[in-house]
Amino acid sequence: MKPDHADDTASMLLIFRLEGESFGVSVDSVQEILDPQDPTPVPNADPFAYGLINVRGVVVPVIDVRRRLRMAPVDRKDTTRMIVLEHEIDGKMTKLAFSADAVDTVIEADLTALEKVPDLGASWPQSYLRGAIRRDDDLVVLLDTQTLFAPVMQSTAA
Amino acid sequence: MIEQAVAAFVQEAQEILCELEELILGLEEHNDAATVDAIFRGLHTVKGSGSMFGYTGLARFTHHFENAFELVRAGELSVDRTLIDLSLAARDQMVQFLALGGDGEQTEELLGSDETTGLIDRIQSLTLAASPAVSKSAGPRPGSASDAATQAVSGQRETFTIRFHPLPDALRNGMRPDLLIRELAELGQADIRYDLRDMPERDGSDPTAAWLTWLITLETDQGRSAVEEVFIFADDADLSIERTEAEAPAAVAAPECAPEAERAGAEEKPKAPGRIDGKSENIRVASSRLDDMMDSIGELVIAQARLDAVSEKLGNSTLDAVVEEVGRLVLGLRDATLSIRMLPIETVFGKFRRVVRDLSNELGKDVRLVTRGGETEVDKNVIDRIGDPLVHMIRNSIDHGIEAAATRTAAGKPAQGTLRLSARQEGGEILISIEDNGGGLDTEAIRRKAVERGLIDAEAELTERELHQLIFEPGFSTADKISSVSGRGVGMDAVRNTIDSLGGSIDVMSRQGLGTRVTLRLPVTMAIIDGLRVRLGRSIYVIPLSAVEECVEMDQAETGRTSGRSVLQIREHVVPYLALDRIFGLPPSTEARRRVVVVCVGGQRIGLVVDDILGQGQTVIKSLSAYHRDLPGLGGATILGDGRVAIIIDVATLVRWAEARHNDTLSKVA
Repeated sequence: MKPDHADDTASMLLIFRLEGESFGVSVDSVQEILDPQDPTPVPNADPFAYGLINVRGVVVPVIDVRRRLRMAPVDRKDTTRMIVLEHEIDGKMTKLAFSADAVDTVIEADLTALEKVPDLGASWPQSYLRGAIRRDDDLVVLLDTQTLFAPVMQSTAA
Repeated sequence: MIEQAVAAFVQEAQEILCELEELILGLEEHNDAATVDAIFRGLHTVKGSGSMFGYTGLARFTHHFENAFELVRAGELSVDRTLIDLSLAARDQMVQFLALGGDGEQTEELLGSDETTGLIDRIQSLTLAASPAVSKSAGPRPGSASDAATQAVSGQRETFTIRFHPLPDALRNGMRPDLLIRELAELGQADIRYDLRDMPERDGSDPTAAWLTWLITLETDQGRSAVEEVFIFADDADLSIERTEAEAPAAVAAPECAPEAERAGAEEKPKAPGRIDGKSENIRVASSRLDDMMDSIGELVIAQARLDAVSEKLGNSTLDAVVEEVGRLVLGLRDATLSIRMLPIETVFGKFRRVVRDLSNELGKDVRLVTRGGETEVDKNVIDRIGDPLVHMIRNSIDHGIEAAATRTAAGKPAQGTLRLSARQEGGEILISIEDNGGGLDTEAIRRKAVERGLIDAEAELTERELHQLIFEPGFSTADKISSVSGRGVGMDAVRNTIDSLGGSIDVMSRQGLGTRVTLRLPVTMAIIDGLRVRLGRSIYVIPLSAVEECVEMDQAETGRTSGRSVLQIREHVVPYLALDRIFGLPPSTEARRRVVVVCVGGQRIGLVVDDILGQGQTVIKSLSAYHRDLPGLGGATILGDGRVAIIIDVATLVRWAEARHNDTLSKVA
């Protein structure tokens, strides 16, 4: 048994795919993974938070992560899943959901090995990324949920 | 355990102090025995529990206050303005004592402060003047210390026969007769006997019950008041104190002297923090528990809607019957739960009497507050949030609305201004109105100010009503000079925001020279509303039924344009309309037969054009997250019977936003 203390260096990550690339978020915040649902559009909302879904009786905003990462919209695939997270916004724990092209696995990663995201020709704004880690031949990009899910877009996003 | 008991005392005392304020103000209007009794009881409880829970400073102060009301109750002291003023001040002082959190240096300081002793002096001068019995022992001049009565010693040696019989519950309520008797014995020469006649015959009687009667003959030079003082806090007892002429009492029949220690042992038993009067039939519950319960009911209502949908689809009559039964029960449960959260609006109205009284004194205006409909019940969450807006509007009325007495008399009005506060329920809404018979809103001043602030064009033609609504614009104030009371222009827009956030609306009516009436419309509850489900494209929206006036077919209403607005001719009425598809930035509707939901906003009828009307039903309001909270026109979301999410439309903010954004949105339909 490992002593129960906060370990900053090792972390469980949920790995999912967007545009063929691997991305990761901390498993701790993940609530559940759902089959894709049709969100109810919110009139006049920022397209980044375009809709609402019902997750077990809770109304949950749906976030368009692709949009912030400057990816083109895609149609739903067989592998498409919705990831529901709980995230602190303005000091309040808020559930939110976003679509991933596919959900791969959960891995344990050593966050001391976090490196700068190499230029893959993609124009992902750096402010939404925490860094990248190697996983076999793959590169997993760790997302910064603080900035990525902020209701107001960071103007520093470049 | 003890902390809980103390916390319970503090909460109870706070409530009593709130009540006291109302009662005292009520006494000023209406001097009746029931009110005097209630005040006396309240003071009595605070004093008694206070001494029990380590607030003896508060208790000692309250004692004097209570004395005064005992005299009022006995008809020996009359209720006049002096007494009311003094009582209010004393009540405020009690609040201060309570706020210090129990005995300690600060309490002693407060007890010895000029303010406290001054108040006690004034109370005593009233009570001494009224009560010959007290003045006899207290001497010609009232002392200034809290225990003046004790210090003002008669000096003469007297003998008292004291019969002290704690009620059966007294020990459980924390009384310590042994300490009282010891204290008594310290006053002089005491002969203590016991009377055990009330003791039940059988063994094994309840050891926490009090059966003993003390019979004490006391020879003392401390005077009667000193003897009485010992028993100040011994409420749960029959007590008689008689002065005898130096003769030992022969009243004690068959005194069986029980060893005191034996009884004292029984007293040491842990006692439940019992209520002083033990008459409460109410349960005190944290409101968060009610909120949790309401949440569960909300889930239940949603599940019920889903069940309805399923049973309809299956078309099984046996199932239908059960579903109907369950539906009825859910409705009953919902109503019962909602009713638990309902409080009479009197709880806020009561606060305002003091506000009005203090404010009219401060501004040198004579204003009478008349309240009506205080029994109207409103959801606690609504009550909690309308206090400040109402205070603000009352301040406005007294400061700006009601004129100085001289102006009033010159205008042929009674010198005393009247402020009417009334509440009533109308369907799912509560109407609260604040009405003054003051000078009314100065529409010209409002226009000037609005032009100055760039809120309207100098040439703009506005109806009187539209001009009145301008007072709710941010930064608007017509007061020429800023008083401490109001006039900073930060108020009315804040009032409107609060009312908006509660899903309510405000309406102003004013007549120059005659007065102003502001009416607030608020939903009775904020948790579950009756909603009208409408469809726009593939999405379903819910419009609160309380805002809906009627529904008409679009093609049955003639469309046209009047003074730049698109309007519908519905029967003999002309109604402007908003096409929701445009407002919500949706692709223009291509449906041939559309419908119009006519809603009422701030007294104005407006049509909302939708694709279809689906039906009505209970709607559980879920608040929106930080991503969507500030979007105009959205009042929340709800979950429909089929599990889909629907947006609830906030009609008031929607209409206001649409009108502000571009007048042109009130425009032609596709």
